[in-house]
Amino acid sequence: MSQGIGAYLIRRTFSAVIVLFAISILVFLILRLTPTDPVEVLLGQKYDAATASVLREKYGYDESLPIQYVTYIRNLVQGDFGISTRRLDFTANEIVIPRLWVSARLGFFALVIAFGLGIPFGIYTALNRGKNRDPALIGGWLAVDAVPVFVSAPIVQWIFALQLGWVDLSFEGVFHKNIILPVLLIALPGVAGVARFMRAAIIQVMSEDYVRTARAKGLRNQTIVLQHITRNALLPVLTVIGLSLPGIFAGSLFVELFWGIPGIARESLDAILANDYDIILGLVLFGSFLFVMVNIFIDVAYGFIDPRVRIGASRSAV
Amino acid sequence: MILKTNHETELLDYGERKLFSYLHRFLGKKIAVIATIYILSFYAVGIFANQLPIPNPNQQVLSLEARSQGPSREHLLGTDRLGRDLLSRVIYSARTTIIFTTAVIITGSLFIGLTLGLIAGYKGGWLDSIIMRVGETLSGIPTLFLLIAISAAFRTYINDLGFWFEEHTFFGESGPVFVDFLIIIGAVVPFAWIGSSRIVRSQVLVIREQEYILAAEAIAASTWRIVWKHIFPGVIPLFLVGLSASMAGIAGTEVALSWLGLGVDPPTSSFGTLLNEAGGIRTFAEFPHLLLAPAIPVVLFFFAWNLLGDSLVDLAEPRTVRE
Repeated sequence: MSQGIGAYLIRRTFSAVIVLFAISILVFLILRLTPTDPVEVLLGQKYDAATASVLREKYGYDESLPIQYVTYIRNLVQGDFGISTRRLDFTANEIVIPRLWVSARLGFFALVIAFGLGIPFGIYTALNRGKNRDPALIGGWLAVDAVPVFVSAPIVQWIFALQLGWVDLSFEGVFHKNIILPVLLIALPGVAGVARFMRAAIIQVMSEDYVRTARAKGLRNQTIVLQHITRNALLPVLTVIGLSLPGIFAGSLFVELFWGIPGIARESLDAILANDYDIILGLVLFGSFLFVMVNIFIDVAYGFIDPRVRIGASRSAV
Repeated sequence: MILKTNHETELLDYGERKLFSYLHRFLGKKIAVIATIYILSFYAVGIFANQLPIPNPNQQVLSLEARSQGPSREHLLGTDRLGRDLLSRVIYSARTTIIFTTAVIITGSLFIGLTLGLIAGYKGGWLDSIIMRVGETLSGIPTLFLLIAISAAFRTYINDLGFWFEEHTFFGESGPVFVDFLIIIGAVVPFAWIGSSRIVRSQVLVIREQEYILAAEAIAASTWRIVWKHIFPGVIPLFLVGLSASMAGIAGTEVALSWLGLGVDPPTSSFGTLLNEAGGIRTFAEFPHLLLAPAIPVVLFFFAWNLLGDSLVDLAEPRTVRE
């Protein structure tokens, strides 16, 4: 059963919209179950009942839950993330967008490094399967993966900032040498996963008939590895990009805390702890939206790059 | 393939032979064996923590010279900022990790994940769609994010509930601790089943097409019997492989949440809280043992599970180990 790419896209988009709605309702309910009153947070020490009720009315917290939800979604669709109850001088957009921009670039660098190292290491270990190098290299990266950022961060900071003095710990923008360590700490734990995935993919392709044919007709080893094996093995690795995003987020959270980077992960922690409704909901929805879109994009790209893949049927069966 | 009438004994025989060959190949992997030994001793130390000749982990000595001591004969790993014996606290942290991982695996992976995977795979249809869609929805959210939200959301209820448990149940003083665990386990379980149910489902889809299942259906065996006697045994090996590969992540979640102050509360010790107390760069420069003492055992624990999981995946995936 094959279907056109248009029909597939419509079906996927439809299910993505449902998924996003489900997530938004879920998170909305979790937040509203919290006993913390956003108006109390907002007023802090200056709390008094009269002001509180005025503010409740102003921000619509006195409405029923379904109405609050509908209002929120309506504003969100128009690009308005709402307000920040912690800092009333700013709208949620003014708080979220610059931080998102910082984190997105850091996350992108980290992704590039993780895949840039993971793919060659995966190829190399697969080609050297059975030799000691293979488990040693994979094991080494698994060891890196085992160190949580909140363990490596103080040690790395101590070595490079206090002892060697090569960098300092302030945030000077995304294109400053101070950013190298944080990006590496986000990226390196992910290398093991990419390398293992790439290794498995290469080994699988190596046993294909066309690789044997290529060898039989006397092609140079380099041509076989690059043209026949790697190109085909790279495809499944695409899918890992989507799966590695939550890991990047988790790594970013601790890195942003340790280096004082004004990024989105730290902002979301602060927002959650202070029960900053609109910001939390906006961030969760944005993150989920990104995740869903990346996965759809990868699925479609997969079908374009490899015509053998029946779109939609390929990965859902696994 | 010939339809076996005595397929059950055949299967068992095959399964046993396969098990032995797995075991043989497993013992041939030195790294996996060492990792297993480390994991087992970690669990043994944690489980028998109260039998070990170590000081009380919560015993504070607040005199200035007793605090943040380096390692000595009396305190093998030194003491923390409140003069508590660090070795005891590390061992009791292992206990926290063990309670947490065991509870999450039994409820999330085993109970929910396995059941839903079997249902989704064997029944198929709309049940399958719903289960997989829910899994997709949940895994579409950055997990740590939602975990933080859930544990933060319910944190305010905790104290009341903890005191209630303290006064009204046999838990007594450990009531609040019990509630702590309840919260973080409750926060993690909704995500813990997704991976294992996917693995189980994909295995069921393969097994379902085997002829012995057709044979069992032909003699009108009940659904329960087919799933339990014929499909379930075939699912177990890969389920265990998936589990061991995800263990470091499950244990790491508790450590990360506790580090953020959203896991178990002091004075119950957890690797997360120990690492957080030691995590500042100034603290590390002055008292490196505060960070290293808990970090080394827990990082080795994650590493051991990573290695074990990797070896088991290798053993279970014949294409990557073809010799």
